[in-house]
Amino acid sequence: MGETIRQKADRVGTFRYISVFLMETLARWIPTTPELEAKVFFGRQVWDFAQHADWLGRRTGELRSPMQWSLQPADGYLRVLQTMAGATGTMERLAGLHDGLMPDLEARYRDYIARTDRLNDEPTVRILERILFDFERLRADRAAFPAIRPDLTLADAGWPARIAAMARAETDYVSSRAAARAAATAS
Amino acid sequence: MSAPADRTKTVNGVVLVADPAREPCFTVVQTDAELQDWPDMSEISRRERLHRHMNNETGAIEIAARCLVDFPDASWDLRMSLARQVADESRHASLLLRRLKELDGEKGQFPVANFEWGVTLMLDNLPGRLAVQNRTFEAGLIDILGTMRNRWREVGDHETADLLEGILADEVTHVRFANRWIKRITEEDPRNLLKVAMAVRYLGQVLARLEPKVGETNAAGSTWTEERRLPPAVNIEDRRAAEFTEEEVAEVLRQAGFRSILPSLAAGN
Repeated sequence: MGETIRQKADRVGTFRYISVFLMETLARWIPTTPELEAKVFFGRQVWDFAQHADWLGRRTGELRSPMQWSLQPADGYLRVLQTMAGATGTMERLAGLHDGLMPDLEARYRDYIARTDRLNDEPTVRILERILFDFERLRADRAAFPAIRPDLTLADAGWPARIAAMARAETDYVSSRAAARAAATAS
Repeated sequence: MSAPADRTKTVNGVVLVADPAREPCFTVVQTDAELQDWPDMSEISRRERLHRHMNNETGAIEIAARCLVDFPDASWDLRMSLARQVADESRHASLLLRRLKELDGEKGQFPVANFEWGVTLMLDNLPGRLAVQNRTFEAGLIDILGTMRNRWREVGDHETADLLEGILADEVTHVRFANRWIKRITEEDPRNLLKVAMAVRYLGQVLARLEPKVGETNAAGSTWTEERRLPPAVNIEDRRAAEFTEEEVAEVLRQAGFRSILPSLAAGN
């Protein structure tokens, strides 16, 4: 990858931002989702994304940035996250996250691993591999959900594909620290 | 007290946050009098106990989740504990639903109430919410689970007793992290103690207005007696494990008329 420590920290900090965002999104959905099985599905995954954020946040501290430091993603990718989080239907929420956003996030983690020096950047690689290991379980949980609640279907059948396409279109997901600071100040 | 972001409802003159989303199969009621519960351990009583507990765990998921959403600037350690609590309570609700179905029950079979959500979400600060939800409601659940685990064993249902034993162990950790965090923030800034005290006082005022009175009858025809209104026996061992101080345990014992679960009863389980 040939990136500086700071550039690596920016990527890891961005991954942490995304994990915290997903943790909070699931938490926000829980009280407004009627179906018990969906509530507990979201509830169990809150802890997964919290753990991912925690591992990544420990790593930012090792990469000469503060511990548990997050970097807001580039504007385009942030809009993808916000669009996905704005879903109101139960299956739009569940499938928007699992079928729309997470495959793209997984691809970004794999891309990081493929491009970095696995020896030099081994601690980051191990964290991402642990996250990818969790993603397999989350994917299995998602695949099992229709059998638990076969009555729940997408009202908007194209929603997950649109989220996936939006995410794929945003090749640059890491913003510069200065831009992120300016955005935070403005908001 | 204020809940600016939430819709509210008024129950017997008390303003509470409106109910979280529930499926149409559930009948959501507002008072204990509208609930169905039976003091014995008959089959229908067992199902109702599991059903009510399942909804209470669902409420606990929702409250902890809202704490994550409403207080993004809380310390990361505390947010991790809240996230873990969300997952734990989700597991509990799933376990109770599974057991309910095994005992031929189903979702929506009995009315449910979301009192804890309605009260806790009225509080606009995290010390207050943790004082009410974790240190009061969940600590009360430690006492109830200690008693109920023993009652299920007495009627020969060890599977449910084991399930409750597992939930009890988790609840101890939820109360403990809240105790530790409240202790820390009140030491750092004594003004936080005022938030805790105001929250507990508010809860007391709400309970005084909404608790069932002796002689009232619930939807199952069961009458509230002085004995039924007593708090459950105090689970001293687990309250200590949750890091309540000896003074706090003594105060709860006094309120419960010094009734306690003997450690020897729980130790064999």
